[in-house]
Amino acid sequence: MTLGHVSATTTILSLSLSLTLTLPVHAQNAPVGNATNAIGELVIVRTDGVQQRLQGKGNVPLYEGDVVKTDSSSQAMIEFVDGVTVALNENTSFKLLSRWEKDMPVVRILRLKQGEVWAKTNGGPKRFEVETPVATAAVKETEFNLKVQDDGQSILTVIEGVVSFGTPFGTCPIRTDTISYGVRGKKCTKPAAADAKAAKSWTEALRSPAK
Amino acid sequence: MRPSSYYRLHSLLIASLAMTFAGCADSLQPSKIGSYALKQDTVQSIPPRIYVANESTNDVSVIDATTFQPVGTIPSLNHSTHDLAVSRDGRRLYASNLASGRVSVIDTVKRETIASIYTGDRCHVVALSNDDSQLWVANIGENTISIIDTKTFRILGTIPVGKGPTGLTFSHDGRFAFVSGQGDKTVGVVDTASHQIVKSIPVGANPHFMVVARDGHVWGVNTGQNDVYVLDPETHEKVGSFVVGDKPQQIAFAYKGTTGPLAYVTVGSLNKVIGLAGDPKELKIVDEIAVGEGPNGIWSNQEGTRLFVAHDKGNEIRVIDTGTGQTIATVPVGRKPIRVVVSR
Repeated sequence: MTLGHVSATTTILSLSLSLTLTLPVHAQNAPVGNATNAIGELVIVRTDGVQQRLQGKGNVPLYEGDVVKTDSSSQAMIEFVDGVTVALNENTSFKLLSRWEKDMPVVRILRLKQGEVWAKTNGGPKRFEVETPVATAAVKETEFNLKVQDDGQSILTVIEGVVSFGTPFGTCPIRTDTISYGVRGKKCTKPAAADAKAAKSWTEALRSPAK
Repeated sequence: MRPSSYYRLHSLLIASLAMTFAGCADSLQPSKIGSYALKQDTVQSIPPRIYVANESTNDVSVIDATTFQPVGTIPSLNHSTHDLAVSRDGRRLYASNLASGRVSVIDTVKRETIASIYTGDRCHVVALSNDDSQLWVANIGENTISIIDTKTFRILGTIPVGKGPTGLTFSHDGRFAFVSGQGDKTVGVVDTASHQIVKSIPVGANPHFMVVARDGHVWGVNTGQNDVYVLDPETHEKVGSFVVGDKPQQIAFAYKGTTGPLAYVTVGSLNKVIGLAGDPKELKIVDEIAVGEGPNGIWSNQEGTRLFVAHDKGNEIRVIDTGTGQTIATVPVGRKPIRVVVSR
């Protein structure tokens, strides 16, 4: 190999390394999950504004940055590739996001703007969070229901497991069969006993097996 | 039992009890949001560094703040790296990335990006709370402030603010955050205890960068009317303004010999840094320093004797001795350097 070859190889390697280092860490061409069921209609808004809709059972891939929303007569179900199932109640909208941390699995994040979601993790611990305007619910292995009211107040009911429920004023663990409220400008409230099963009753039609 | 043994046992019992109750407290009480934990035996001081956000190369240049020699470059792993905030201990650097809508978290010891957090569309400026426990991020495209817990990197809340938030700073006592809104031509005063906007102060066209002076006054630039303005920290009223020229960019405070501190403003169209002094109601120019092409970011050293000026057209940092107005070092950096900060 001549010096010229070495130099060319070095340049190519440097360019390759440079390109590798500057590549975005958030690939947007791999689905993060699928919309699998909609009672009424689920609207999916891609990052470029293009819309896709699901009515009934299906398998519509979802990508980082998508916004999914239901109207006043719709509910929907989403299955994430990393083993989290999420149901959207009526008038619900959230954005699919993630957080990257070095040497750690990606944290799947739902930014819940309005409405109500039920979520359940399957197959071991997950890195999963739901952000609301005033609080964030972070889970590993759990089942919970989270509702955002018009003023941003967020109501968390834990059906099974532990949810770390945090506002900018403090974070507390919320456990099975308890409820906590997140309000702007305050810590989440102390957990109180709740009928957790009732909190997810609205998901029954979505979760029932196909007839 | 010998007294020494008794005291050892007694101490162990107290320690055990303390640990037990600490565990209970952790599990029952809301955990305090604090800055990231560091083992005491691993804490070492880091020499002061100059960090420069390069918007067109998506990275951060690192320069030794004592020798002014380049130390390295840190890829932000995002796009359009714009603003920076460095923690008081110098171990963490946070960079906003306009095009990605994400904040890069940088470990300054390892000089690498360790996390990427989506905050919102066109995230623009970042500011650390006074205890470094929270990072506030202004998202121009969503008219919001995102609040990041710097320990967990979780976004714990979002505050709706005025249109086009482009400047952000905290009061000395931490009770208020000031947010400039380009669309509203105002500065919103956010009560940090309630997260409510308690006042909206008209300041002028296209308010942008903001900073708090050592005396607590809040300074800002209006890129739409070529002036700087000053807000009173107690009354939250605009108490002064001064036209400096086309494209006023950022402000830092430093001394010119025995005079000062002066508010040094980078003025992009003039290729100058202008030093203002006096009562905020009667500001006057007391220093003018010719610099390179497109001065933008500016920072001063702790002593207030050096200015570090980023040039977004010249792609360089100039180190200026404020006593003489002379450039004592010029350091090439990445393309379109916007913001410069220096660790303590």
